[in-house]
Parts: sequence; structure tokens; C-alpha cells
Amino acid sequence: MTATSPTTITTALRAEGFSCPSCVAKIEKQVGRLKGVESVKVHFATARIVVVHDPAVASTDDLVAAVAKAGYTARPAAF
Amino acid sequence: MNPLTRLQGRWSVPALSALLIAASYAVAQSTSPTAWADALMIAAAVVAGTPVLIKAWHALTAKVIGIDLLVSVAAIGAVLVGNYWEAAAVTFLFAVGHSLESATLNRTRAALAELIAVAPDVAVVMREGQQLEVPATEVAKGETVLVKNGARVPVDGVVSGGTGALDEASITGESMPVDKLSGDQVFAGTVSTGGFLQVTATGVGADTTLARIIHRVEEAQEAKARTHALMDRFSAWYTPAIIVLAVVVGLVTADVVLALTLLVIACPGALVISIPVSIVAGIGRGAKDGILIKGGEFLETSAKIDVVAVDKTGTLTEGRPRLTDVVALHPDIDGSEVLRMAARAEAGSEHPLARPVLEAAAEAGLPVLGLPSHTEPVPGKGIVASLDGHRIAVGNLPLIEVENHDGHDLDEAREVVAQLASAGRTPMVVACDGRVIGVVAVADRVRDDAAEMVARLHSVGVKKVVMMTGDIEPVGRAAAARVGIDEVLAGLLPEDKLRAVEDLQRQGHVVAMVGDGVNDAPALATADIGVAMGAAGTGVAIETADIALMKDDLLTLPEAVSLARRTVNTMRQNIAVALGTVAVLLAGVLFGGVTMAIGMLVHEVSVLVVIGNAMRLLRRPADNRPVGRRRAQLPEASPIRASASRMSSPRVPRGVTTPDSLR
Repeated sequence: MTATSPTTITTALRAEGFSCPSCVAKIEKQVGRLKGVESVKVHFATARIVVVHDPAVASTDDLVAAVAKAGYTARPAAF
Repeated sequence: MNPLTRLQGRWSVPALSALLIAASYAVAQSTSPTAWADALMIAAAVVAGTPVLIKAWHALTAKVIGIDLLVSVAAIGAVLVGNYWEAAAVTFLFAVGHSLESATLNRTRAALAELIAVAPDVAVVMREGQQLEVPATEVAKGETVLVKNGARVPVDGVVSGGTGALDEASITGESMPVDKLSGDQVFAGTVSTGGFLQVTATGVGADTTLARIIHRVEEAQEAKARTHALMDRFSAWYTPAIIVLAVVVGLVTADVVLALTLLVIACPGALVISIPVSIVAGIGRGAKDGILIKGGEFLETSAKIDVVAVDKTGTLTEGRPRLTDVVALHPDIDGSEVLRMAARAEAGSEHPLARPVLEAAAEAGLPVLGLPSHTEPVPGKGIVASLDGHRIAVGNLPLIEVENHDGHDLDEAREVVAQLASAGRTPMVVACDGRVIGVVAVADRVRDDAAEMVARLHSVGVKKVVMMTGDIEPVGRAAAARVGIDEVLAGLLPEDKLRAVEDLQRQGHVVAMVGDGVNDAPALATADIGVAMGAAGTGVAIETADIALMKDDLLTLPEAVSLARRTVNTMRQNIAVALGTVAVLLAGVLFGGVTMAIGMLVHEVSVLVVIGNAMRLLRRPADNRPVGRRRAQLPEASPIRASASRMSSPRVPRGVTTPDSLR
């Protein structure tokens, strides 16, 4: 977790069940829409989702929920 | 969710769909009206197509046009024009293919998943004399952690008490348990196979070797190779182009079926995954064997390596020089006095050659008291120290020549130095007030498997193995001859190594440089591929080396080169399959012969062929069983009166190589 600006942090989620690269765009748009999310990058190869967000506005749970809405299970990474 | 229900979940849709298709055919064969058969066929399409439709809807709400949407449109269109069989076939094949894809793709990611799974979650710490179980990430640095038999080591640390054996496969790929004693390094994520260890924590959570490896593997698998970026651009352009083509064809020819068929083949499935799946599998395979490759780019370069430059000390040799000879050359001074003088002069030195001299003096019971009043290291030559008003010089001949103001005869010293050097030892002349009093020599043992490593490098296609050393030529040659090295670059200072690498590159070679990642960092950075050996112990090497070999085992190097070559070959085959599929499908659809069902079948098969081909990388090739190695045994140093006739036979490397660079 590194701070990029006073209020945002970077959280990595590890997801399951990526099979077609179209899920990348799907998740990026779904999570990117959340208020408080500054940037989101989905790595297809490793099924890792890296989000820069303001935890006060968009909590880690909100991120997991947004990924679920796109149809995928994700868990926050311990490191 | 347990695996069984997941399996049922994964396969229930295709199974039900298949059942309905079969029922539809059975009904069609009988005398019932065709409406029943059609209804069953539509039901099959609905069963297989509903999940696709839901996914397509998700994608649409996120404004993404994906394969799910294309398949949905094609299937609905097929139903509307009355091609019920096509609709059912397309959705059924897509469902089956998709389930197979997820299963196999997850397999290719297994190496990473396993690494994440071994991350420890709890630790038993000693706090105020009590054993306390806490989350692994809440251990503080410096706390004592207990590791019992069968438990996972929760932190990186140093053994402070007890003994035990650890299975370090998750970190180094070594399958044999390693004995641990006080002072040994242990890694989070390794498993105790016996004994009881007290460990002082040095790294916790994200600051552990395991976390660094996981990050390295993730970044490596995400890093895009040049070819990859090219393919990505191609696929990004391909889908919209085919959709436009489908619309145009539909409008011009009014052939709705043809247009729908084009939609089915518009998703470049195999194109998009052909490269990432190979890279994920190749890098994952490496990680399991303790070989960390920085990414696809580095795989591609590694596959082209034709010269491997190896730093001698600590890489080809064990890196622990020992004193082998003491020769007295002054009538009034005996060997033990020569050694004592040398040891006293070296007492304040940081140089690797100082330690064997001091150790030997201590073993011989020669007191080395206090430090010299003044020491002056002479880079590349040796050291000059002031002792009790005398000026003692220890170093190579050039140093002694400078010291020798009064023009004493140095011939005898030259002869002894030449003899020792030709036997592969590093001689140091000892002079007192400019007069030679004797010569001491040290040697560093060539590792047992150095020759095997060179042979295997040649067999995986490396043209030339070059040894770099700071030693004088004869010393280098003695070691090289025993190992089968093709070329020796001797007498190099650290900055010369960098130039030597550049020279090899200028000759058009793709050069891999192997070192310990600490002392030879500039040369490693200059080489096309920098390889750090025994990286598990140094976080820096894991972060920076292009290839980090976690184990301190020479035989993983040829394995890494061979893995890179196999991965790149797999990538090429996959690209060929993907492009071939696209060409065949396009031609087949436009010139007739390929229906929607066939299009989907070929598409799914090509995706599975690509994944299956990548999965071959996960299998360990039969020819490189990892060689379990215990701690290296040090050679028995036998002080001898220097004589070239005492050279060891080439078959048995006996303590005959040397530390690099006399300063």
C-alpha cells in the first residue's frame, strides 16, 4: 500500500476465473465508475486488479462488490 | 464452495444443453411433429445461452463489446432466421469451450496461486515469556518466533536457537529439506519437516522473500513482451473490423446467416491469449524451480543467449578461499613467521583475501595482536602496512617491484609465484622493508557441478562460456581447463568486467552475465541478461536481476536458458496457430463451407490448443532432475612446498581456484 496523494491508497485485489480478456475492460469500467476510485488496472495474465482509491469514499469492500457486479470473485491481497 | 459443487456448476450448463440437443435429434427421428424437435433445440440454446446473455448484459452496462455479446447476437439472430440447430450448437460449443478454458487457464496460473497459498497466516511468538499466537503480519522485527515440527515459518529471520530441517521448495525449488542451525537464514512460507526452531524475525509480511517472489512473478507475468503488444494491437483492431465487415456483408448481400457467422468468428480468442498464456506458464514453471525471470521481454532475450559470461569467484567456485601454501624465501625467517607477518599486515584489511590468511594464522596458533599502525591498500596489487617500525608489503609481484628500492633479486620469488599460479592458486608475496621474505598462496575450490553446468549450457545451445576473473592468466586457465570453459578473461578489475561484456556484445553476441548480484552489479546491468545466483538471501538481487536463481545451484542456469527457449518456441507456435485459425475461418466463412457451428468449434478448439500447448511448459522435462546439494564441503588445505608436479588431476578439482582480483 503506497499513498499516491494525501487521501488515496493503492489496493491490490486477486480475482478468480478470468478466461477471456474482455473481462478486463468489463471490470475496469465497472470499478472505475465508483466514486472515490482514481484509477484501476486489471492484469489479465495474473487476474490481479490494482486500484488507486480514496478509502473514505470507496472502501476495499466497495471495490470487491464492484468486481462482483462485473461477475467475478475477488479478494484483497495481503501484500 | 467445494470442488464438487464447483465442478457441477461448471459443467451443468453444457451437460443439460447437450441432453436437450440429443433429445431434439431423437424427437426429430421419430414421427412427432418437428415443432417439438425445434422447441427442444431452442431450449438447448436458451440453457447454454442464458449465462452468455447475462455476461453480455454486464459487459454492455460497462460499455464493452465482448465475445459474449457477439455470441448472443449470433445465437438470437440464428433463432430468428429459424436456424435452431446452429443457435444451439454455437451456444453449446461456447459453453463447453468456456468451461474448459477457465479450468485450463487457472491451471496455467497455478504456480502463482500456490505461492500465494503458502503465505503464512499465523505465527507463534514469545512475548513476556508466554507463547502467543498472532497473525503473521503482526510479528514485530526482532521478536522471537517459534517454529514447531510441521508448522510453516511465518516470517523471514535468523535461527537464534534450536535445530531443525525446513522444506524450502516454495522459495528455492529445492525438494530436499535443508538443515538449519543457529545463525542460518530462514524464509517465510517454508515448512518445518522436523525439529524445533527459535527464529528472530528480520522481515514480516510484504518485507519477506516470499512476498518479493510473488510480486516479481506477478509483475513478470503482467509485463508485455514486444510481440505481445503487437498482437494486442492486432486483436484490438480485428474485432471491430470484423463487426463492420459483418454489417457491410449483411447489407450488401442481404445474407443474414453469413453476417451472423462472421460475428461468431469476430472474437480473436486464441490471438489474445496465445502469448500471455505461454508467458504465464513459462514464468510460473520457473518460479516453481526457483528461477525468477523478469518478464516476457527477458524470456525472448534469454532464448537468444549465445554467450554466458561467468564470474569465477563465488559462482564457479565456492567463494571461500583457504590458505594452501606458505613458502619461506629468506634464510633467517621461517614459514610460520612469514604467515604471522602476512596476517598482521592483513589484520585491518577488508579484502576477501585477508580472511584466509588470518584464519590460517589463527589455526596455526600464531598470535595476531592489534592492528598495524598504518595500512594502505593498493588497489589491484595488495596492501602495505607499518608494523613495529617495519614496512610490510603483501601482494602481487608489481607491488613488490615497487617496494623493492634496493634492487634485491626477485627471481626466486618470481619462480615460486609462477609455480603456484600454474597450479591455480593465488600467490601473495610478503616483503619486509622491501626484501622478499616469502610467499603465501590461497585457493578457492571449484564447485563440483561447474563442469556439468558448462556441458549443459553447451547442450542447450550456448556457443561459448566465458570465465571472468581478476586472477592472473595461469590461475584462471588452471580452473577453466578443469571445467571445460571456452574462453578465459583474466586479470580483470571490476570495471574491466563491464568492458569485457561490452566487447562480447560488440562482436554480435547476446550475453548473459552470471554473478552474485552484489559485487558485479555494473557488469550484470550491462549484459543483455543479468543472472544473480543464490538470490534467495538477497532481496536486492530478486528485485533487480533479469533472472534470479533462488538456489545457489549452478545447474539451474542451463535449466533457465532451456526454459526460456521452450517458452519462446511455445509463443511462436501459439501465434502461428492463432493467426492460422483467423485466416482459415475468414476464408472459410467468406468462400462458404464454414457455418456458425463449425466456426465456433474451430474457434474454441484453437483456443484450447493454444492453452494446452502452453501447459506443456508446466511439465518438468525429464532430463533435468534437480540435484539436491548439501552445504559445500571445504577442501583440506595442505600446505606444500610449491612444486608444479603437485598439480591435481583434471578429473578431481581439489581446492584449486582462487579469489578474484588482488585488490
